[in-house]
Amino acid sequence: MIFFEFAQRSIRLHWLRSLLAVLGIVIGVVAISSMGILGNSLVLSVGEALSDVGDTVVVYPHSGGFGGGPGVQTNDVITGRQVQQIERAVGANDVIPLHVGADRIKVGGEEGVAQVYGMETTDIPLLLEISEGVYLRGASGAMVGQALAETYDLDVGSRITVGDESLRVVGILAERGVGFDINPDQAVIVSDQWYTSVYGEEDYDQVIVKVRNLEDIEEVKNAIDATLNRRETVVDVFDTRMILETILETFSTISTFTTAIGGISLVVAGVSIFNVQMMSVTERTKEVGIIRSIGTRRREVMKMFLYEAFLLGFLGSAIGGILSFGGGYVALLIMLQDTAYLFAPSSLVYIPYGMLFGIGTSLVSGLYPAWKAANLNPIDALRYE
Amino acid sequence: MGDRVSTDQPVIRLDHVSKIYPLPFGDVVALDDVSLDVERGDFIAVMGPSGSGKSTLLNLIGCLDVPTEGDLYIAGRNIRELSDDELTDLRRDTLGFIFQQFNLIPLLTVRENVEYPLVLKTRRRESKGLVEKLTRRVGLEEELLSHKPSELSGGQSQRVAIARALINEPEILLCDEPTGNLDTKTGTLIMELLEEVNQQGKTIIMVTHDPRIAGYAHRTINLVDGKIA
Repeated sequence: MIFFEFAQRSIRLHWLRSLLAVLGIVIGVVAISSMGILGNSLVLSVGEALSDVGDTVVVYPHSGGFGGGPGVQTNDVITGRQVQQIERAVGANDVIPLHVGADRIKVGGEEGVAQVYGMETTDIPLLLEISEGVYLRGASGAMVGQALAETYDLDVGSRITVGDESLRVVGILAERGVGFDINPDQAVIVSDQWYTSVYGEEDYDQVIVKVRNLEDIEEVKNAIDATLNRRETVVDVFDTRMILETILETFSTISTFTTAIGGISLVVAGVSIFNVQMMSVTERTKEVGIIRSIGTRRREVMKMFLYEAFLLGFLGSAIGGILSFGGGYVALLIMLQDTAYLFAPSSLVYIPYGMLFGIGTSLVSGLYPAWKAANLNPIDALRYE
Repeated sequence: MGDRVSTDQPVIRLDHVSKIYPLPFGDVVALDDVSLDVERGDFIAVMGPSGSGKSTLLNLIGCLDVPTEGDLYIAGRNIRELSDDELTDLRRDTLGFIFQQFNLIPLLTVRENVEYPLVLKTRRRESKGLVEKLTRRVGLEEELLSHKPSELSGGQSQRVAIARALINEPEILLCDEPTGNLDTKTGTLIMELLEEVNQQGKTIIMVTHDPRIAGYAHRTINLVDGKIA
């Protein structure tokens, strides 16, 4: 294809100018791909940290927000009768009613404050994993979160005073991270019986429903809503998957935004390609006049200049694509201290995306100069010196 | 689109052709009601002072421009009725251009320059030795085929331009001061070559200032103020 050869030779002839234009595209593609990889990795990392609670429906007493949340004083509660109604509404799914509070704790000479969760001992294995010791069975023991155990140097068998009552630690929970249902890492887990006898609270602050089949989440949510909120809103029902999706959506928006910032450098690169192509058209005006006069059609002239823009974009995008691995790696290392997400397909896809944008930008930038060349008057172009 | 003309009709016909350029300070009449028939195999020299309309006439016959008034037929086709692509194809297939400054394409080698119009026409590279045959015909050494135009002398460049103009076997050759940039000896050689090409049946329209060069033509047209004197 003779017009493709024209384009190649023109690039070789003006190699320095072409190199600078290619460099612009390289920077643009690396920026857009690296930012995309970083954003996507952020979403993946947040998603992974939170996804273990995706099968949960959380019921709080209605108070216009997370009224019964840990450490929050509220008069709103979920009664035992309402718990029974929830159990009937959700069928075979596990219902875990919780007392949530906070109290002073004392370990040896050290004092502090910790969250206290009270629940049926049979429910504990449904909700929490253990790392040391055993699950709580009797009324007088306690389990502690991993972070709390580390802070106070607690082991299985240690004694911890909650309020004025001394409890023996029977088990230490596995680290769970931030959750939408409960946050047990810094908490003490006690039996429902102990909590009721010490604090005198019969009613519950929160009910967690573990849904066995993820597809039933919406149905479970609606069933609770229909049973308890029929006349007036007495409980708020949250689907953690929905909360998770909202958070992931937010991170995706941030990711898109950072990628768009990367895209600005591609716009700058596009301006550079435009400039190079305009110079090329100006310098080759006489050549255009010659080839037009001896029988080259307008669209063939246009093709010739578009090939040139395409080649610059393709070269820049190919080099940029390769360097994006490095750029993404460095960005992840600095921002997340974890490069594992670089190789996730949803991260890697930003490299071909970046490359396509690079080529697209070059073609769009080369469009006007190519059009201008194609529409030169052959007589004027032939006279051009 | 005009019908093909039979062989006894003129290969070029100007019928009351005028070309007027509208300019801010008033219209400029470059050609004024010119009528002319050029027969197949003719060799015509166009002479006249600067600004007499010689280049305008050559641009019109070369389908690089269209008349403001009147009709111009090239190989039986009225160029006014043709689209830009059709005019381009007419330049490629029916006309051959030879310029004073040679106007070779600097990015291409001599071989590529010669075969360029043929590649445009056939969409593929020439492979049947046509380029070699043509370069021999115009008296160019084959070793030069791989050279770039910048490595050629004036005479060699004009021979390449003639070979390029002939590759698609056009009916008409348009020459704009073909010896203007050459020394007398080389100019004579180029004119002898054009004379030979004309004897082989090509119609030649040649613009020149030089009466000695015009002497190679069968007839001379003098243009004065856009009119044939």
